[in-house]
This record gives sequence, C-alpha cells and structure tokens, in this order.
Amino acid sequence: MEKYFNASYIWESFPMLLPYVKVTFLVAGLSVLFGTILGFILAAMKLGSSRIARKIANGYITALRCTPSIVLLFLVYYGLPAIAENFGLLFDNVDKLVFIVITFSLQFAAAMAEVIRSAYQSIDKGQFEAAVSVGLSDFQAYRRIIFPQAFVVALPNFGNSLLELIKEGSLAYTIGLIDVMGKASLIIDGRFNAHALETYIALSVIYWVISIIIEQVFLKLEKIFSKGKQVIKTT
Amino acid sequence: MLEIKNIHKSFGPNEILKGVDLKIEKGDVVVILGPSGSGKTTLLRCINFLEKADQGHANFGDIDVNLNTATKKQIHTIRQKTAFVFQNYNLFHNKTALENVTEGLIIGRKIPKAEANEMGKKALDKVGLSEKYDAYPSELSGGQQQRVGIARAVVLNPDIILFDEPTSALDPELVGEVLSVMKNIAKEGTTMLVVTHEMSFAKDVANKVVFMDGGVIVEEGPPKEIFSKPKEERTKQFLHRVLPEDYIFYI
Amino acid sequence: MDFKFLVDTFFVALSGVPIALIITIISLLIALPLGFMLALTRINKIPVLQRFAQVYVSFIRGTPVIVQIFIVYSSVPLLLTSLFEKYHIDKNVYDINPIWYAFIVFSINTTAIMIEIFRSAIGTVSKGQLEAAYSVGLTNVQAFRRIIIPQVLVTALPNICTATVNLIKATSLGYAMSLQEITLRAKVAANVGYNYVEAYLDIFLVYLILCSLVEYVFKRYEKRLSKYKTAHA
Repeated sequence: MEKYFNASYIWESFPMLLPYVKVTFLVAGLSVLFGTILGFILAAMKLGSSRIARKIANGYITALRCTPSIVLLFLVYYGLPAIAENFGLLFDNVDKLVFIVITFSLQFAAAMAEVIRSAYQSIDKGQFEAAVSVGLSDFQAYRRIIFPQAFVVALPNFGNSLLELIKEGSLAYTIGLIDVMGKASLIIDGRFNAHALETYIALSVIYWVISIIIEQVFLKLEKIFSKGKQVIKTT
Repeated sequence: MLEIKNIHKSFGPNEILKGVDLKIEKGDVVVILGPSGSGKTTLLRCINFLEKADQGHANFGDIDVNLNTATKKQIHTIRQKTAFVFQNYNLFHNKTALENVTEGLIIGRKIPKAEANEMGKKALDKVGLSEKYDAYPSELSGGQQQRVGIARAVVLNPDIILFDEPTSALDPELVGEVLSVMKNIAKEGTTMLVVTHEMSFAKDVANKVVFMDGGVIVEEGPPKEIFSKPKEERTKQFLHRVLPEDYIFYI
Repeated sequence: MDFKFLVDTFFVALSGVPIALIITIISLLIALPLGFMLALTRINKIPVLQRFAQVYVSFIRGTPVIVQIFIVYSSVPLLLTSLFEKYHIDKNVYDINPIWYAFIVFSINTTAIMIEIFRSAIGTVSKGQLEAAYSVGLTNVQAFRRIIIPQVLVTALPNICTATVNLIKATSLGYAMSLQEITLRAKVAANVGYNYVEAYLDIFLVYLILCSLVEYVFKRYEKRLSKYKTAHA
C-alpha cells in the first residue's frame, strides 16, 4: 500500500485547494441570498389564503425535495438555454456560475420555504393578538413580536440548510466550475489520476472544517438570540 | 415479609437517605408521610432498584439481597415479587389498557396469552374500567390511567405493591376514584407500601404510618397514635402544617 | 423537443430504478440497527464508542457525499490490491462490481444519519417507560424490544423517511462509480444525439415518482404505527 499512498500529497494539496474555498462560498452566498427571497415568497404562498398559490407552492416544494441536485443542475444547465432559445435569446456566453447559482437558489428556496413556514407556525397566535391589543399595527406586530421569535426557531434549521447547500454545491464541478471541489479534480487530472485518495482526503478535511465552523457559529447565534426563550424553559 | 435495613443513598453531595430501617408484615398497609425532599420516594425507588442504594439490605422472606451489590438476577427476582405504581402513571404509550396490564404477565412471567387476557380483564374490571380494555393511554383521563396503572400492578399478584404518590399528579376531582380503588385492594389483604399526601387514606386504610424527615424515619406507629398523640416535635410540626386545625379531634 | 426520445428514454431511466432501490434497501438494512446501537452508546455515554460515534457522525455530516464516494472508490481498491498481493490472490480489483462500493459508501453514510435520528428519538421517550417496564418484570432486552423501540420508531419515522428519500437521491451520484443507475443510464442514452434536456426531464420524472411513492408508503406506515398517539377520547 505504501507505494500507492503517500501522506505528503495530502499536505501538498491544502495550499492548492484553499484559495478556491472563496468560490465555494460565493456560490453558497449568492444562492442563500436569492433562495431566501424566493423561500419567503413560497412560504407566503403556502400560508396565504389562495388555494391555487398554496397548491403551486406545495407542488414546487415536493418536486424540488424529490430531485437530486445533480439532476436539477443539468436540467437547468441544458434546459434554460433551450427555453431561452425559443424566445430568441442566446445563452452561449453566460457564465457557468449563473446556472449553478440558479440551481442552488431554486433548491435552497424549497428548503427555506419549509423552514420559514414551520418557524412562523410555531409562534403562538396569542402573541400577535397581544401585540395588536397593546396598540401595535399589524406590520409592527410582525416586525417587533412575531419575526424575532420566529427567527430564533428558524435559526438551527437555516444552519442545517446552509450546510446542505455547501455540500451539495460540490456537484458544480460536474459542469466545470472551479471551486474547491473542481480544483481537486484538476489536481488529480494533473497527477494523471495518481494519488487521488490523498487529494480527496485533503478536500474532505476542508469541507469538514467548514461544516464544524458553521455549526459552531449557529450554536453561538442560537444562544445569543434565544435568551428570552431560556427563561421560559426554566420556569 | 419485607425487612429493609440501613438504606443509604446520596445524589452527589446530598444525602437523601441516611440509614432507614423498615419492617412490613404480610397484609400490612404502610403509609409513609413526610415533607417533600424527605426521601420517601427515593426509599421506594431503592426497594425496586429504580435507584441503586449506596448501602443497605432487603429481606424478602426467603431471599436476602444487598441493595448496592445485587446481581442482575437478584434484581429481576425482586422485581417479580414487587410491583410499582408511579406518580405519573408511566403507562406504556404504545399499548392499550389491556395490553398494559398483560405485558408483565405474558412477557415477564410467560403466562399464555389467552389466560393473561382473562386475568387482565378481571383486573381492569376490578378498577372499574370494563369499558376501556382497548383504549390507549392517550384516550384516558388521568384518573383512569392511574387505575390502569394499579391494575397493571395488582394483576401480577406481587408480594407487595409500592405506590409512589399515586394521586399527586391528578386533578383534585379525580383523586377520589383512585383512592377508592386503593382502598378496595387493601381490603382484599394486599400488602402495600404507600407514599402519599392523602391524610384521609393514611387515617382510614393504613395500619401503620411512618413519618420521615431529612432522610430518616422520625416516628412510626398505628395511625391513631401518630395523628392524635405524636411523640416527636418534628411530627407535630408537620401534622400541624398539613392538617386543618380541628382535624385531630375527628380521629 | 424530441418526444419519441423523451418517451423511450423514460423507460431507460426507469430500468435503473431496481439498482437504486437495492442500494437503498441494503444500506437501510445495515444502517438502521447499526445506527440504533451507536445511538445507544452516545446516550449511555460508553467511553470509547461514544467518542467514535461522535467523530464519525461529524465527519459524514460535514462532507459532501460525492467526496465520500471518491474516498471509498479510491481507497478500497488500494487496500484490496495490497491485500491480494500479500496473500497472492489472483484477482483483479477492477473486476469488482461497483455496486459493492455503493453498498459501502451509502451504508457508512446512512448509518451516521441514523445515529442522529435515533439519538434525538430515544431522547423523547421518557425514562418512566423503561422504569415501568422493569417494574412489571421485563428484562432490559424485553423492555427495549417491546416498549422503547416501538415508541422510538414512531418518533423517528418522519426523519427516516427524509433520510430514505435523500438516500435514493444520493444514488444518482453512482455515476462516479460507473454504477448503472437511473441517471447514468439516461445520460448515456442522451450522449448519442445530445438530447440532454429530454434525458434530464425523464430522470427528473423518475425520481419524482419514486420519491413521492416512498413518501406515501412512509406516511401510511406512520399512520398505522402511531394510532396510539392520534387516538382521542
């Protein structure tokens, strides 16, 4: 085994991979931004009174939940230009990043819609009634009473969704994005497929560390924001 | 029939039981009274090995076990001889009333299912739940759940039934139905060790009352003596707190 | 849009369903009991094992499945080659059916997910249930088999359903091991005439149907198992 496996390749891989973590974060960041906006819209549709809107939102969420990321990615990558062509638009010069961000925004939106809905529904109706009863407007009641409480409930689920997003984002390499995963494939190609294992070990350590950091950050955030809630728990 | 010697139990730095001795004869109904935190519940749990005592012995007629070093087999034997009624019922959520009652018979005692079902139905009839064989705990009121809990204990025909504050989780209006079931089984000669705050039960049903405080037994005797002329100052103070002023004159 | 191709390829994609299901079922059969036992080591704080389970779960949950696949797919052959050389076994590691690698990867992955699921589900069953089981004379094993596990399963079922759907979805990454599952079959069919849009539409449909079915089956089963919970007086 020694002649096939050489740990020094692991160390060598880190400085080559780390600069590309930026790209991984860029994809995640943009997808979170657009995905959250779309997620809010979907959640509103689900919670709203329109039956058609509710059906559409539910259908969208079910479909996205059942679709593997890689399938969605290629569906967007091949499907979007094909649709655009019908409208006389050419997508030839569009950056790959656009397709990737669209894919993961669509996916993140479905996850966020559920996170937002369940957080909203977890808040007792009495909270809103109490807010209005002391003279707050509907908007003020949402902004000052409902949202801060729902935010705390949503936080851990948001963190989990973000972790999923970053991990699933690794599949962007399949259409040629050079993020940390894509760079690892390039390194392996450059070594003529030798020492792939060492490169993947380095790559997995990078993902692992990112995940642990995100997890810890969210645990901290939860602690900071849930001060009011803890009092309720202990009494 | 059951003799307990010198039970000690600490949780971390707090010594809850500081050497308790207790003797119970067959057919006795013994009620343990005492302020909360006095170690009553812990004593009961140690006898059934739900807590492991730090030291102490229990003598169940033919067998003598060290409460600290008992083997798995000894623990199992003692549990077969005893039954426990929990404060919060602890009915098996995934089983119907009848299944709750027969579980110990069929699985623990290997009694054939048909026979166990007969015994279970009789036990449920006895606690007045003939209509509720197939009800799940979530469909029963607290009082009904606790009566199932009692039937589950009675059906095992144990040497002794341990009651851990069986009515204190109940709404006041449901306490009566549970107490009257307990009275009935006491009349049948069941040996019972009961931790409770129900003074009327202690007065009417018990033939021995034990007053515990601070992890020791302060005083014990027939209910009449304990209630009307307690010897120890701590017992007097406790009774004074929990009983209406003129209660003692009723006895 | 080539409709004939769309219809034909749908059946090509469909023919990959058995492989996806076999991998899913084998992985679950391994992961469910193993995950449950490792969850118990964490709850009972068994010294070395609980530490192991913790790091294991953290690593699997912290890394993409595709990276896990690549690690197994590039390390197991290395290990086997050196083993074969050492014991002079005349067998080529490249003749091994890739489905074995899939079993390994997805079992390892799903076990970690199950540990987390069971850990939180066991936490919801109160200690009193176990005490009551002891008090009526059940042994430890009997108490778990008859009282604790049935209750844990009901609480865990929705999460097990999600994990199963995710597992089916993850088998789409089998292409990285040249596994002839849904995605790869349809993709290969599309390579001939570049009908990628149609092919991926088919793949999308197959997963949609498959996962919806699985969710439906779980919902039915959950209803049956949890009848004691939903019952009302």
